[in-house]
Amino acid sequence: MTSTQSTHSEVFTVVREVVSDILPEVTDIPGHKHLKDLGADSVDRVEIILALMDHFGVQAPMSDFSAVPDVDRLVAFLAERSTR
Amino acid sequence: MTGIEALNVHCGYAYATVPELFRGRGLDPGRVENLMMTRRSIGLPCEDPVTNAVNAALPIVAALSDEERASIEVLVTSTESGVDLSKSVASYVHEYLGLSRNCRFFEVKQACYGATGAIQLAAGYLASGISPGAKALVIATDVAVVDEHAEYSEPAAGHGAAAVLVGDEGTILEFDLGAFGNYSYETLDSARPEPTFDIADVDRSLFAYLDCFSNSVADYRSKVDGADFMTTFDHLVMHTPFAGLVKAGHRKLLREHGVRGPGEVAADFERRVAPSLVYPSVVGNLCSGSVYLALASLIDSAPLTEPVRVGLFSYGSGCSSEFFSGITGPAAKDKLATMGIGERLAKRVEIDFDQYLAALAVNKQCLVPVPDRDIDPAGYAPILDRVPDRKEQLLFTGVREYHRQYAWG
Repeated sequence: MTSTQSTHSEVFTVVREVVSDILPEVTDIPGHKHLKDLGADSVDRVEIILALMDHFGVQAPMSDFSAVPDVDRLVAFLAERSTR
Repeated sequence: MTGIEALNVHCGYAYATVPELFRGRGLDPGRVENLMMTRRSIGLPCEDPVTNAVNAALPIVAALSDEERASIEVLVTSTESGVDLSKSVASYVHEYLGLSRNCRFFEVKQACYGATGAIQLAAGYLASGISPGAKALVIATDVAVVDEHAEYSEPAAGHGAAAVLVGDEGTILEFDLGAFGNYSYETLDSARPEPTFDIADVDRSLFAYLDCFSNSVADYRSKVDGADFMTTFDHLVMHTPFAGLVKAGHRKLLREHGVRGPGEVAADFERRVAPSLVYPSVVGNLCSGSVYLALASLIDSAPLTEPVRVGLFSYGSGCSSEFFSGITGPAAKDKLATMGIGERLAKRVEIDFDQYLAALAVNKQCLVPVPDRDIDPAGYAPILDRVPDRKEQLLFTGVREYHRQYAWG
């Protein structure tokens, strides 16, 4: 396992924890789905992104996250910019 | 001790149900639940920021003795946008409330935060002791000019004013002087670039609200020894653009303080936050009066059998925010009950979507500076006359040579 893969795995674990906190009814998080597809409304999505930015020490405008198409790309986005 | 001596809100004479507004605009009915609202106050064209301010403050001023009324030496109005680029809303309000000519008045603006900034400065001024016995009247007042372009924000917009009398007997809320936290920075999350419409970047606005809530609480905790978000505040009162965002903010703060279980989060929300949402859920976003509408809701809805500490979060787009606190209790409940806020909200008249559209078409011109304009309140008598036991209040009748005109009726 490369360090990058390890980071992606760790990031995905945190994404799953945060999504579960905010959307307790969601048990399965397929990588190809958008947060909207998991039932997150606009408030939920912003709350999830804020929690992830805080956890990984990521500084980025919300518009950058709006362009991320699915959970896999969200994980990659966070892994690239994580400062922790 | 310095605090809020008296509080009242005026939220107009008409309302539309939120499902009716969703139906009329063709919005997804599945999203009604997100707003956690059932009704929205709708302004009539014979109302404007001046009439709302006067009608909110009038019962407070009327209950004062001549000596107490003369001790109001500061009058501040807070609006999303004034009715003139120079002349303040406060100048009209001062006249129609009959306040002393030895009173300073002016207007402030910082979206939905403005009134809190004015109240905090007034509290510091009064607590300094440089003018013993003085009072300050701060009135947050607005009208809604949003239309279908605002999409899901339109059914959440409110209409009305909150009047807050600050003095040295904080019966409604005794301030924890010196206990406050701020978080502010420049962002364009929403704005009113023209007097006829608002713009909003929804994601940026939600982000800024939640970001400011966490950071203003953190700033408060850095200044107040031993302050703990979970145990220091018996109740929480927050700026309420719609209750779904308040719920998210509460959930976020709890998660940051180690509370994650959905059952525990829901129970804390019901206990500490829900009483503050009763009035906002039938009025909508009252802009800078929103947090004070929520405070009135808490005091009228929660049992309050003993003194309790309340944490208040005020947020205004752009953005500036503050978390502060104070003590309320049974005496506040008794005093606020004399205003009959819940009864007045229940007496508003329901209008349908077509009546709403007709009012909105005229309301969108309310803030546009024009030399002359006629508004005939008699045209709205079919609605005004259906408000049970309506007392004489100030109505907007038009503009003559840029001078706004009002009449009691």
